Amino acid sequence: MTSGFTRAYLRLLSVQGAWNFERMTGIGMGYAAEPLLEDLKAADPARHAEAAVRSAEYFNSHPYLAGLALGALVRAEYDQVPGPQIDRLRTALTGPLGSLGDQFFWAGLVPAVIGGAVVGLAAGYGWWAIAGAVLLYNAVRLATGVWALRTGLAHGMKIGAALGASWLPHALPRVGHAAGLLVGIALPLGLAVLLEGQPPRSIVIATGTMLVALLAGWRAGPHVTSVRFGLAAIGGALALAWSWP
Amino acid sequence: MSPLPPAVLAGLVGWSTVAGVDLVSFPQALLSRPLVTGAGAGLLLGEPVAGLQVGLLLELFALDVLPVGAARYPDYGPGVVGGVVVASGGALHLTLGVAGGYALLVAVLGGWSLQALRRVNGRVLQRYAAGLAAGDAATIHAVQYRGLAADITRSLVLSVVSIGGALWLRDRLPATDRLALVTAVAVGTALAAAAGGAIRSAGRDARLRWLAAGAGLGLLMAALR
Repeated sequence: MTSGFTRAYLRLLSVQGAWNFERMTGIGMGYAAEPLLEDLKAADPARHAEAAVRSAEYFNSHPYLAGLALGALVRAEYDQVPGPQIDRLRTALTGPLGSLGDQFFWAGLVPAVIGGAVVGLAAGYGWWAIAGAVLLYNAVRLATGVWALRTGLAHGMKIGAALGASWLPHALPRVGHAAGLLVGIALPLGLAVLLEGQPPRSIVIATGTMLVALLAGWRAGPHVTSVRFGLAAIGGALALAWSWP
Repeated sequence: MSPLPPAVLAGLVGWSTVAGVDLVSFPQALLSRPLVTGAGAGLLLGEPVAGLQVGLLLELFALDVLPVGAARYPDYGPGVVGGVVVASGGALHLTLGVAGGYALLVAVLGGWSLQALRRVNGRVLQRYAAGLAAGDAATIHAVQYRGLAADITRSLVLSVVSIGGALWLRDRLPATDRLALVTAVAVGTALAAAAGGAIRSAGRDARLRWLAAGAGLGLLMAALR
């Protein structure tokens, strides 16, 4: 089972490669499961055939934590757990792994390292700040991937308890606080970097636009996305700049 | 404005394609974040400051949207590379706003192309239904590789469109002081996007206090620069 670990891990890096609305990341999971299921093919061909079908069924989670599910499901196949039970585990893991990953990575680590990079940029570190952020992020992300696959393979059907007792749920508030702090620092610094050397009038216009945009977002709710508002505001400013006598 | 050397153009298209594929398919290594994509494009163009500024402007918009699950989100990578091309060669305080608007437009187009790609992947799935029902490894490989190839193609086409349009726009952009207004408005909306996203993510718990403390510290640091 562990002989295909490295290949499965590398394949997990493209787990969303064939993302679709029908199976979501199911194909990517089946693709990554194949090396791990090779030993089962020799030991129990009938079980292997069933496992291969199951491995590519519907699945969705945060891509970096998909290894937890993959490892657990493969381990369950080797443990001869009945198929319907494996299907239930697959379904049960979708929500928690998606939620944990989104909170830790998308809402936590990504804004934290990007906020840190903006602070570094404002401090004059330029490209080094960005390279440092990319290296730090990928170190955490790749190490988490190894941990996820190992933990899944070690715990099989008991993955839920193992996940609950792991470092991940405890790290969520810490990474969230770091993201809050660093993004908070980055916002005024970002404004300063973008409007460096420009007349006070530009700072007044930018600040006024920001307040109007925040108010519009608050009043209109999700219908007015920041991108839509941004496009409309930039288009309006262009029209004004062109038509002003 | 002088045309870009073919090697630089090829480098930009390649980098932009990598950034587009990185968003969802492979390897999701932060390369598709506007700040990173913009910095790379700036280096390739020999305009590192333009790359960082356009990247930072779009990064503020990107901080508002989480790329979760089946959610619709813009594909900023190729748009940012196009934006850096628009901004290059001119005075940044004039070109930055137009470059940001252009990058946003392409990013929205990229978001639509992702939805189309997902539907194409669904059709491929139906074509290979029999093999998938049998758990055939070769079929799973074929569907996976087709998905990756389709995303590379999507990203490449988007990159060519983005950079081609940017070159056209760059040569026609007037050097008028009036464009400073567009830059100021673009910066204001970008900052609102990031602030709105940060406040929503913070909720009402301790993270909001950390955000407020950070904003205070950031204001102090910005004043002392």
